[in-house]
Amino acid sequence: MRSVTWRLRRRLGGCCVAERSEFEFFAKLSIGQYIPTGSVVHRLDPRVKLILGLFLVIAAIMISSIVSALILTVAVILGLRLARVQLRLAFAPLKIMIIFLFILALIQLLTIPQLKTDATVVFQRGVLKITDRSIVSAILLMVRFVVIVLGLSLFSFSTSSSEVIHGIEHLLRPLQRIGFPAHELTLAAHISLHFFPILVGEAEQLMMAQAARGADFGYRKWNFLRKLRKMLPLLVPLFIVSLKHAQNMTRAMESRCYSGGAGRTHYVRLHAQPADYLGLFLGCGVISSAMVVNLLHVDGTVWGLLRELVM
Amino acid sequence: MNEKVRKIVVSGVMGAISIFLGASHLGFIPWFAGAALTIMHVPVIIGAVLEGPLVGAVIGLIFGLFSLLQGAIAPTGPADVWFVNPLISILPRLAIGPIAWLVYRIARPLKELPSLALSGIAGSLTNTILVLGALGLFRYLPWELIGTIAVVNGLPEAALSAILTTAVVAAWKGIQTRRRGSSV
Repeated sequence: MRSVTWRLRRRLGGCCVAERSEFEFFAKLSIGQYIPTGSVVHRLDPRVKLILGLFLVIAAIMISSIVSALILTVAVILGLRLARVQLRLAFAPLKIMIIFLFILALIQLLTIPQLKTDATVVFQRGVLKITDRSIVSAILLMVRFVVIVLGLSLFSFSTSSSEVIHGIEHLLRPLQRIGFPAHELTLAAHISLHFFPILVGEAEQLMMAQAARGADFGYRKWNFLRKLRKMLPLLVPLFIVSLKHAQNMTRAMESRCYSGGAGRTHYVRLHAQPADYLGLFLGCGVISSAMVVNLLHVDGTVWGLLRELVM
Repeated sequence: MNEKVRKIVVSGVMGAISIFLGASHLGFIPWFAGAALTIMHVPVIIGAVLEGPLVGAVIGLIFGLFSLLQGAIAPTGPADVWFVNPLISILPRLAIGPIAWLVYRIARPLKELPSLALSGIAGSLTNTILVLGALGLFRYLPWELIGTIAVVNGLPEAALSAILTTAVVAAWKGIQTRRRGSSV
């Protein structure tokens, strides 16, 4: 009895006055969005974009020369221009990261000299030691992140999620001959994407149902245990409801005689046009030229030339 | 029910939960050590326990891909920056499911509920150790700091994931046994 009155008092005390907006997740969601501008980049075959994106990330991780990193950066920015997307949108995530990137670069700056002894010391005071190598690796770290972030932004701005999945399925199809479950894998990804809105709806409903029972989802108190006690009655039903959905979906698929990928035809078929091959060729050209520059070790020469120009 | 279809659907649905937990910030619980505790890997563990190691690996792949994309396109915090590297965001996550499943398989003959909790702990620790280990190998963080994070964040995360895995799987299996024979 006492607990009931206590809870009632809590409820009347205004703890549970939650605004409607607290239950709406879509406002808080933050995944990279598709911006349809119908540009050349948008019309490119998703397979081409996937291959180029993969190459770009690999190249960005592998390079160790600042000049080639700059080549990649300029190429990606040109791509963003071609896609007619506002550059501001692509740079937005970088704004959030920038302070942290500086800290990471600083860590590299101060820890690398202790590991490599054959570098020339630029600055030394007490234990603090900065070498030319550590400066290069700190700059590289930052440019590398910029390239990958901008590249992935370009990809997500110009490719819709179902295009991505059709592209992946088409690319993985040759692997199916050796028993790789390409169709099943992409189907799982498809289900994930299309189940997502249903899940959001379910979660909103669950939150409101629990709030009607007196749960308080406000974030005023930064109390770990309290937050935990609020989360469990929300998360467990969310999992159970989703598993029920999964069961129903399985039944629905079976009753439509779905039985895996063998011998299926496809509604969406991708056909590469000459323009797609041209795009692939150009993109590969840029990335491989960056790799060649990386192999040639031109950084020292460029640095010397720049110094001569300035002096 | 057709085993294969159910496996595909469960991996898709659990992948969606993992994405949802990350995107809605429901999957992060503030923690006084600075970095928030995450339970985004719990769907991976639950999927692996219910449907086997392959399903766990697929959900792990979806989870990893999402954290890569989130890190690059819409970072929520400073730590997201590291996950732009696929060797940190994707590769360690593939191992969560199979290891959780293995622990569950070994421990299940003894007792059902403790084995669920154990697999939750094992899956969560796999995530912590492999991701932090990769961060250490790439020299993004010094090893001493990694050890601290592993203890301060990794252990409560393991406890959380043990609680959630046990609660969800036990509830789900309970529902299934009660309904046996009456599903028209």
